[in-house]
Amino acid sequence: MKLEVQGATRIYGATRALDGLTLSLPDARILVLIGPSGGGKSTLLRVLGGLETVDSGTVQVNAHHLLADPAALQAYRRKNGFLFQQFNLFPHLSARKNITLPLEKVHRHDPAKARSMADEALDRFGLLEHADKLPAQLSGGQQQRVGIARAVAFSPEILFLDEPTSALDPEMTAEVLELIQELAEAGQDIILSTHEMGFARAVADHVAFIASGRIEECGPPASVFGSPASPLCQRFLSRVMRY
Amino acid sequence: MTRRQHIANFGVAVALAAAVGWLCTLVLGQLDNQTDWSKAWDYREALCNGWLMTLGISFAALAGSIVFGLLFLLGQRSPLPVVRWTCRAFLEFVRDTPLLVHLLFGYFVIFAPLISRPLADAGFQDKVVIGILLLSVFQGAYLGEILRGGVESIPKTQWDSARAVGFSPVQVYRYVIFPQALRRVLPAIAGLFVSLIKDSSLLSVIGVSEYFYNTKNFISRSYAGLEGYIPLALGYLALTLPVAWLAHWLEKRFRHET
Repeated sequence: MKLEVQGATRIYGATRALDGLTLSLPDARILVLIGPSGGGKSTLLRVLGGLETVDSGTVQVNAHHLLADPAALQAYRRKNGFLFQQFNLFPHLSARKNITLPLEKVHRHDPAKARSMADEALDRFGLLEHADKLPAQLSGGQQQRVGIARAVAFSPEILFLDEPTSALDPEMTAEVLELIQELAEAGQDIILSTHEMGFARAVADHVAFIASGRIEECGPPASVFGSPASPLCQRFLSRVMRY
Repeated sequence: MTRRQHIANFGVAVALAAAVGWLCTLVLGQLDNQTDWSKAWDYREALCNGWLMTLGISFAALAGSIVFGLLFLLGQRSPLPVVRWTCRAFLEFVRDTPLLVHLLFGYFVIFAPLISRPLADAGFQDKVVIGILLLSVFQGAYLGEILRGGVESIPKTQWDSARAVGFSPVQVYRYVIFPQALRRVLPAIAGLFVSLIKDSSLLSVIGVSEYFYNTKNFISRSYAGLEGYIPLALGYLALTLPVAWLAHWLEKRFRHET
């Protein structure tokens, strides 16, 4: 995928979530966003995923120029998958129905086809036995995996994952990270924000360190984790890697 | 329960039964066996017609209040500030003034001079139609607020997730927000529908011959008392209890689901 972000600024009330952020990656496969909470990771993901627009600056993802046009953004979102920290699933629908509903209503597949696509996605991640359960009957890790199954059921261009394991215990974190790694190895383009540094290092081909709404450091994981140039990034890494 | 609570419970039960029994003896003793149920039987046709009219008004106003409720909800969530503020002001006005005033003012001052003649020409009973309309607006105002509360109680991630899978704004409401919001506000809506049925009795002030109006006529013509009021209460209970039961049943069903 190709990313071109120029001087992106997004202001919520008094805080500048993105502050003239510039990022240029001609060819990335797995981009991992790291950095302190409140630094702008989520906002950047939401902007790249077409859920928010910038107040100023330009954003281009692959061939799509993301402008403040609701219809165009909706069409863009239909091409991508997005997963949040938690509560992704619609609680009144079974796991399977969570996947078939967008396939039927957004992608216009007939019910039989949607069902077979959903079962295929659930089967792929070993979730088929939970197909008829409601989200409340699934563990947090299973919920996130169903959420990912929903996001990839229609082969998205890019899969966006916003701290997908932050609300999970270590065991569930592992099961979700394994699944993401599997997707990455299968060739899925992914942009992900996370606090799991080991995972970022193992799976990313590009890592961006974001703080105060700007990219402080961006490059292959070996150089960002091995020899960070920015003092902010050095301090952040030395703090989070200490334990 | 502990042993002492058992004893206390029994004691209170006996005291309550005695109090109710005493009150009943007092009231019935005063009536002095003048109750004459044949009077009610003589007026059965008028009472039945009134009851059916109340049933019809309730159903029509129920449908109407859903329409107005949805309109008020959407109006309050409109992106245009002028629509939002107009809606807000209208709702505040409707909710803070008595239904009795709406009916008298709405019928005699606004609608009767405007549309009574065309309605009558088209073969409608103008009082009934206008009464249903005014009742629908009044209950719709409350329903709109209940629905708004339900919609706004749905967490932000649900809106985000619905948008992220590519739903259009209409689909977001239809497939994700409404099904969840309705479950949450069902008890409140049931309560509202029960009070809608009871409030339909106020339509008697503009001369709609519904159950209360016909019963009142029967009582004043035949000097009946208990023979009128007891069927009146039972008639309304026959309408409101099924609604309350249905609501409890739905509530229980949905609770198991989530």
